[in-house]
Amino acid sequence: MNAATDIRLVRARPLVVAPVDVRFGLAPGDRPLVAAGESVVVGAPIAERVRDPSLEEVHVPDTLEPQPGGRWSGSIDGRVGMDEGELVFAWRNRWRVAGGTLSDPIESPLAGIVRDVRPGTSITVRAAGRGLRGVVALGGPTRGRLQGSPDSELRAGGLDVNSAGAILVVGSRVDAETLTRARAMGVRGVVVTGLSSKERRDYLASEARQRSALHRLPPFAVLVLDGAVRRPLAGAVMALLGTLSGHEVAIVTDPPMLVFDLPGLVVPTPPVDLVRIRGEAYAGREGRFVEAVGPRRFPGGVHLEACLVRFSDGSTAAVPIGDLERFV
Amino acid sequence: MSSEPRAFLAVDTGAATIAASLIGRVAGRWRLIGALSLPAGADPGALAALLVARASAADPGLAAALGIDRTPIVDLPRVEVASHPPRLLAVVAGSERALAPLVAAASRSGWRVVSASAETTDPLEMSTRLLDAGVDAILAGAGDPPAADERRALGELGALVAAAAHRRPELSVILAGGMAGQLHAFGDVSDRLGRVLVGTAAQAGRDPAELCELLVDVALPVDDARRALGAATAALAEVLDRRVDVVEIGFDGGTRVGAWPSGQPGTPGLDLAIVPSAGLAPPDPDDQAVDRIATWTTWTSDRHRLRDRMRELRIAPWADATGEGIGVRLAAARAALSCLVRWTPAWADRPAADLVVASGGVWAVAPASAVALALVDVLRRAGATQFAIDHARLMAPLGAIPDAGERRAMLADLADDLLAPVGTVVMPAGLGHGRNAGALEVHGTYGRHAHELRPGGIERFDLPPGATAIAEFRFRDTVRLGGRGRHFAIDVTGGLGGLLVDLRDVPLRLPDRADLRGELLEAWQAAVVFGRRG
Repeated sequence: MNAATDIRLVRARPLVVAPVDVRFGLAPGDRPLVAAGESVVVGAPIAERVRDPSLEEVHVPDTLEPQPGGRWSGSIDGRVGMDEGELVFAWRNRWRVAGGTLSDPIESPLAGIVRDVRPGTSITVRAAGRGLRGVVALGGPTRGRLQGSPDSELRAGGLDVNSAGAILVVGSRVDAETLTRARAMGVRGVVVTGLSSKERRDYLASEARQRSALHRLPPFAVLVLDGAVRRPLAGAVMALLGTLSGHEVAIVTDPPMLVFDLPGLVVPTPPVDLVRIRGEAYAGREGRFVEAVGPRRFPGGVHLEACLVRFSDGSTAAVPIGDLERFV
Repeated sequence: MSSEPRAFLAVDTGAATIAASLIGRVAGRWRLIGALSLPAGADPGALAALLVARASAADPGLAAALGIDRTPIVDLPRVEVASHPPRLLAVVAGSERALAPLVAAASRSGWRVVSASAETTDPLEMSTRLLDAGVDAILAGAGDPPAADERRALGELGALVAAAAHRRPELSVILAGGMAGQLHAFGDVSDRLGRVLVGTAAQAGRDPAELCELLVDVALPVDDARRALGAATAALAEVLDRRVDVVEIGFDGGTRVGAWPSGQPGTPGLDLAIVPSAGLAPPDPDDQAVDRIATWTTWTSDRHRLRDRMRELRIAPWADATGEGIGVRLAAARAALSCLVRWTPAWADRPAADLVVASGGVWAVAPASAVALALVDVLRRAGATQFAIDHARLMAPLGAIPDAGERRAMLADLADDLLAPVGTVVMPAGLGHGRNAGALEVHGTYGRHAHELRPGGIERFDLPPGATAIAEFRFRDTVRLGGRGRHFAIDVTGGLGGLLVDLRDVPLRLPDRADLRGELLEAWQAAVVFGRRG
C-alpha cells in the first residue's frame, strides 16, 4: 500500500469487541452468590449489595480459621437484624465484620461465565456475546429490548408506557428531564450519542436523590456512545443498532458497553476507507479517505497533518488527520 | 540493530500521540532527518512508512546513502519508549498531619492518589477504598519516629492494610517511616505476587527524594517515556554544560525534570517529578479542574461548555485542534503546568534554569510565540532563560538508550536538531509601579534598537533563531534579575518567538473578575503572538 494513501494513518476504533469481561463492583459486606467458573444466566442474582453497611466487632474462634474476606454468621449484641457479614480485619483478638440489615440483589443482565470473585472488590463475568463500546455509562447494569431510531430526537413528552422495559436509542443528545422521566416510566435504559455535562450532572443528582430514599431503584442505565457535544451517530454504529433493534441487549457500566448475545447476527462491516470527522466544520460527517496530503495550515495558524476526504456529494476537503476516526 | 547502523527510528508512543523520528548518520554525526506525529491509534508501521517515504522523496541521494530506500521498514533499527497510564495509589496514614507529606510525595511520583487517614475516615470506608478494584498499590506511612497523634492508630491501621493486602495479593504495599514497624502484620511476604517494600518517612519540611524514587520505581516500568525523560535531561545538561529544566505536558500526566552538570552551584544531579494530575485532559474534570482551566481561557465563561470541551478533549485529544481549539488546549496546558508547579514547590528555591525545554504533544498545535507565552505565564522565575521545544518528541527515546556514554554522544550530535528554539525570556522581579520602568537597548548583528520598559506588560522583540544580541536593561529601580541591580547586560539568543521581555508580576497575579482577566489575557496574547504594543 502506498504510504500517502494509507488509511492506517487514521485512528482506528473497534466497532464491536469480543470477548467482553464485565465487572460488577462490590464493597465490604456485599455477599457474592456465585463462584469462579460457574455459569450465570440472564437475570440471575450474582450478589447481594448491602444498603446500610456498618462495621461491627465480633469474637471469632481461631478454630474456624477466619481469613479476611471470609463470611461470618452469628449474632451481635445490640445489632438486631445483622446476623452475618464479611470478615474485614482482626484487631486485638476481635474481628471487624462488615454487614447490614438491608440488601438488594445484583442481577446479571447477561449470560456468561464467572471468571473471578473477590469479596469486597468485584465479580468479573465473561459475557456470552459481543459488545459495542461507549465512552461512559451512568446508572447500573440493565437489560431490555432495543427500540427506537438513532436519528430521532427524544423529548420528555414523547415517552409513553409502550417503552416500559425497553432500551431506547435516541438522537444526538438527550436532556436530564427526559432521562428522569424515562426511568420513572419503566424504561430500562437509553443509548445516546452525546450527553452534555449539565444534563449529566442534573441526571446524576436526580438519581442520587432517588437512591437516598433507600427504595430499590429499577435497573436503568444511560450509555453515551460518543462524547459530550451534539454530533450525529456514526453510520457504522447506526447500522449496527438498526440490526439490533427489537433484540434483547444489556447495558453494563464497567466497561461502558452495550452487550448483545446474537451469535448468528452479521455485523455490517463499514467500508475500509470510510472515515468519520469528529470536529470542526465537518463534525459528524462521513466520507472516503483519499490520501494523506502532508502538513496544512488550518484556522488559528496551526500546521497539522492533513488528508483529503471525499464526501458523498463528490466534494472533497482537506481535514486534519487528528479529526478523523474509522471503525474496524 | 546491526553493528553499524546508518539510520534508525526513535518512537515515542504516548496515550494521545505517537511520534516517530528518523535519525541518520550524515557527515560523521547523527542528524534528525525527519519527524512525524499522529494521533495514537494510528498504525505505527504506516507512520514509519510515511516518514521514510517523505525523507526519500525529499532527498533520494541521502536516502540511498542511509540505506533507507532499500531497507524494509520493519528492519530499521529503532529505539522505543511508551508512556504508561498512571496507576492508582491508596495513601493512608494515622493522622491528617502525617498524610499530607505522603500525598505530596506520591502525587509527584507517577501515581494518581486517593487518600485517607485514620483520623477522619472510619475503618469500613478505608477498607472500601483499599479494596476498590481500581487501586493498584498502597502507601501506608507514619513519621519516623511516629508522632503522638498517629501512634495510637498505627496498630489498627497496620492490621487493616495487611488484611487488604492479604485479600489482594497483587497489590504492592509500601510501608513508609514508622509504619515499617507493622511489617509483622503481613506475615510471610516472600511468595506474594505484589511486593511489600519499606521506605523512608515523608515528613513536612524534609525532602522526600528517597521515598519518591521508590514510588517511581513501583509506579512505572524502566522503559517508560517519562522516566527516560529524566536520563535525557541529565545527558543534555552535561552536553550543554548548563542547568536544564524540562516540562512535559502529556495526555494523562506531566513531568518536570531539573538537571544540572557538575561544576554548577549546589549538588550536581537530577530531580524528576512525574505528576499525573498535571495531565492535559483530566479523566473526570471536576469544578476545580474546570476553574483552573477557565482562569486561562478567553473563549467562554460557561463552566458547563468548558467541561464539555474538556470531556471531548479526553475522548479525542487530537480532534478540534484548530481555531478556538488551540486556545482551549493552551488554557488546559497552562492549568496542567500550574499543577506541575504546585506539586514541585522545591523548584522555586533553586536557581533559574539556563534552558527550559517544553515537551509533549500539546505544544505542537500552536505557534511558537503562543507556546512561549503559555510557558512564561506559569513558569515564573526571575532571570533570563532560553526556551525551546522538543518538537520531534525525541528526548524520551534518546533517554532510553541504556548506555550513558552512547546517550550523551547521541544527544551531543542531535542537540541542535531536537530543540526548536523559542527564544530568550527576560523576567525581572520587584519592579515598581508607574508608567515607565526604564529602558532597553538591544544591539547585535541585526542592528541596534531602543525601547521603553512598561511595568505590568510583556513585549516581544524579533530576534530570529540563530541570532545573538546583547540586551542592555537600565531600570529606574533596583530589580532582581539573577542578582539585584539596576543595570544589566544580558546575552540573548533568538528563536521562533524572538526575545520576550516580561515585566509582569512574579508570581503572576490575575484579576478575579472573568471579564477583566479575559481583557488582560487578550492584551498579552496580542503583544506576544501578534507583536502589538499596547
